[in-house]
Amino acid sequence: MVLADLGKRINNALQQLNKAPVIDEELLNQVLKEIQLALLQSDVNVKYVAKLKSNIIMKFKMEDSQGVNLKKMIQQAVVQELTQMLDSNKKPFVPKRGKPNVVMFVGLQGAGKTTTCTKYAYHWQKKGWRTALICADTFRAGAFDQLKQNATKVRVPFYGSYSETDPVAIAEEGVKHFKKENYEMIIVDTSGRHKQESELFDEMKQVQAAVNPDECIFVMDGSIGQACYDQAQAFRNAVNVGSVIITKLDGHAKGGGALSAVAATESPIIFIGTGEHFEDLEPFNPESFVKRLLGLGDIKGMITT
Amino acid sequence: IVSNFKQLTGTKILDAQDLQPILDKFKEQLMNKNVGEQIAQQLCDSIKKNLINTQAKALTLLNKTVKESLKDAISKILTPKRNIDIIAEAMRQREKGKPYIITFIGVNGVGKSTNLAKVAYLFKKEGFSVMFAACDNFRAGAVEQIKTHGRCLEIPVFDRGYKDEPADIAFQAIREAQAKKVDVLLIDTAGRMQDNEPLMKQLSTLVVQNNPDLIVFIGEALVGNDGTDQLMKFNKALIDLSPKDRIREIDAIILSKFDTVDDKVGAALSMTYNTGKPILFCGVGQKYTHLKKLNVRTVVHALLD
Ligand SMILES: Nc1nc2c(ncn2[C@@H]2O[C@H](COP(=O)(O)OP(=O)(O)OP(=O)(O)O)[C@@H](O)[C@H]2O)c(=O)[nH]1
Ligand SMILES: Nc1nc2c(ncn2[C@@H]2O[C@H](COP(=O)(O)OP(=O)(O)OP(=O)(O)O)[C@@H](O)[C@H]2O)c(=O)[nH]1
Ligand SMILES: [Mg+2]
Ligand SMILES: [Mg+2]
Repeated sequence: MVLADLGKRINNALQQLNKAPVIDEELLNQVLKEIQLALLQSDVNVKYVAKLKSNIIMKFKMEDSQGVNLKKMIQQAVVQELTQMLDSNKKPFVPKRGKPNVVMFVGLQGAGKTTTCTKYAYHWQKKGWRTALICADTFRAGAFDQLKQNATKVRVPFYGSYSETDPVAIAEEGVKHFKKENYEMIIVDTSGRHKQESELFDEMKQVQAAVNPDECIFVMDGSIGQACYDQAQAFRNAVNVGSVIITKLDGHAKGGGALSAVAATESPIIFIGTGEHFEDLEPFNPESFVKRLLGLGDIKGMITT
Repeated sequence: IVSNFKQLTGTKILDAQDLQPILDKFKEQLMNKNVGEQIAQQLCDSIKKNLINTQAKALTLLNKTVKESLKDAISKILTPKRNIDIIAEAMRQREKGKPYIITFIGVNGVGKSTNLAKVAYLFKKEGFSVMFAACDNFRAGAVEQIKTHGRCLEIPVFDRGYKDEPADIAFQAIREAQAKKVDVLLIDTAGRMQDNEPLMKQLSTLVVQNNPDLIVFIGEALVGNDGTDQLMKFNKALIDLSPKDRIREIDAIILSKFDTVDDKVGAALSMTYNTGKPILFCGVGQKYTHLKKLNVRTVVHALLD
């Protein structure tokens, strides 16, 4: 997994603390510099990286302990800062069987919503849930054909229209239709949009109001840079984003923007997308990720001591 | 720092230590504007090299000098060495009785198909006859997407549905364009990750076998540190498969989604810095008219002021 590269680099930097006989400010700066570089090259928000560094230095200066304790303190501080960034403290939505769960997908243009919707549908379909897809994108050329072909491939019923131009009407109709038919997982795909165009955001809010989703998933491209934080935050503020899926992590992208998106949406990453095929969706668990990130078994212990 | 600099003015010459804090600040600013970490570093290093051993100045003056040097350097990078005028080139081909052929390539979801349609609109406005070749026959709905644009713009589409090799479809489309005396042929290709070897090979085959007049790489302004890697690897894949006497490379870049990044326009620099490839257009929205020339001064201003 791509984010793991970032973990390895951070861990390597921290290892220097274990090797050194004494830890002085120079060594600390060196270690922090390497961690900083790893984060910046992975597209973590610049302001967060700066804050992380100054927080750790502050803790270092306040502590007057030496040797083992100091090492432990620094490691703890790094782990804590990273965990805070990745851990939203929010439990992801758990759909309930036997009732309709409406899940709406939102995100920037081309992030991978339509593809990920289908992967997500396929995921529940395989578990035996009655699953359906709705195309509430009336803007993008060929959007309905795309969803239709995808849905057909994974054998999931779908709803959409070639003639209706109002996505709110389609979403409302579609959800009503599938609820009546006792579907358990009803997935609503929406158009790509960005915060700079308020009309597009208003439309998203209207769709949300019309279908009243149980969960709103923000889909984000894993290679996104520094614009990520503001966009993610704008989506969070406009609709009630509950979780995040990061796509295209099969590429070279380091996926550090993901950390920023979590911070901005205050929502957990639930899946990552690792390819164009429908089975290329991997569950993501932030806690075990941070654990693996630093190759340490006793992180929990470290944080609470 | 301030008191240090007071002593500096006068006869002292600048050394690395005087410059470092200022350069660090500018580096952070550039990264915050989404310039890739390594590129921001290299830029600052080159400024350092130029300013070291010059006469020391007061802090405010030094700040200004560094900023001006950065502005110069960035303007130079962004100003294309080779100006590509696609209208003039298409005109030349038309005089020879040949279609002017452009291929659009890039990673998934960046805006290849949409910007291809915008370029078509531009050509139509200038009185050229245009044809599309639907050579993305992988992604669901890709062919219908092109057909929809064809319908809106009254442009014929050459397609073979979702079968056949993209390189063969392109070949047949070119034959058709020649037979029908079409002025401009625009070839859409499927998105792919730069590390996906079989798919990169498939793309290079399409390009090398059909030898288009122009190869345009679409990158998105949203991309972070991955942007440079995308461009370099697409370029390399083309070179690697070209015959020795007819090396093909990416000719130009379209930077899409410029309207989604506010002042975080660093991708423009990241894309051009290591490659020297000119930015042909910026995509500034989802409509046909949303295609603009890059304004170097505006970008420099956004990055540094
Ligand atoms: N390699 C790879 N490609 C992906 C992944 N997820 C999506 N894609 C591709 O990304 C491109 C865009 O995906 P879409 O699902 O159309 O994106 P979207 O967000 O629905 O786009 P709009 O509706 O136009 O906003 C397509 O080529 C997908 O095949 C992934 O995890 N890996
Ligand atoms: N805001 C904005 N959106 C854009 C721009 N260019 C393209 N888009 C949107 O980005 C999304 C993806 O565009 P496509 O043209 O389908 O991208 P692609 O590269 O062909 O995608 P694949 O073929 O799936 O790899 C669509 O929703 C477009 O409307 C732009 O300049 N600004
Ligand atoms: Mg879509
Ligand atoms: Mg396309």
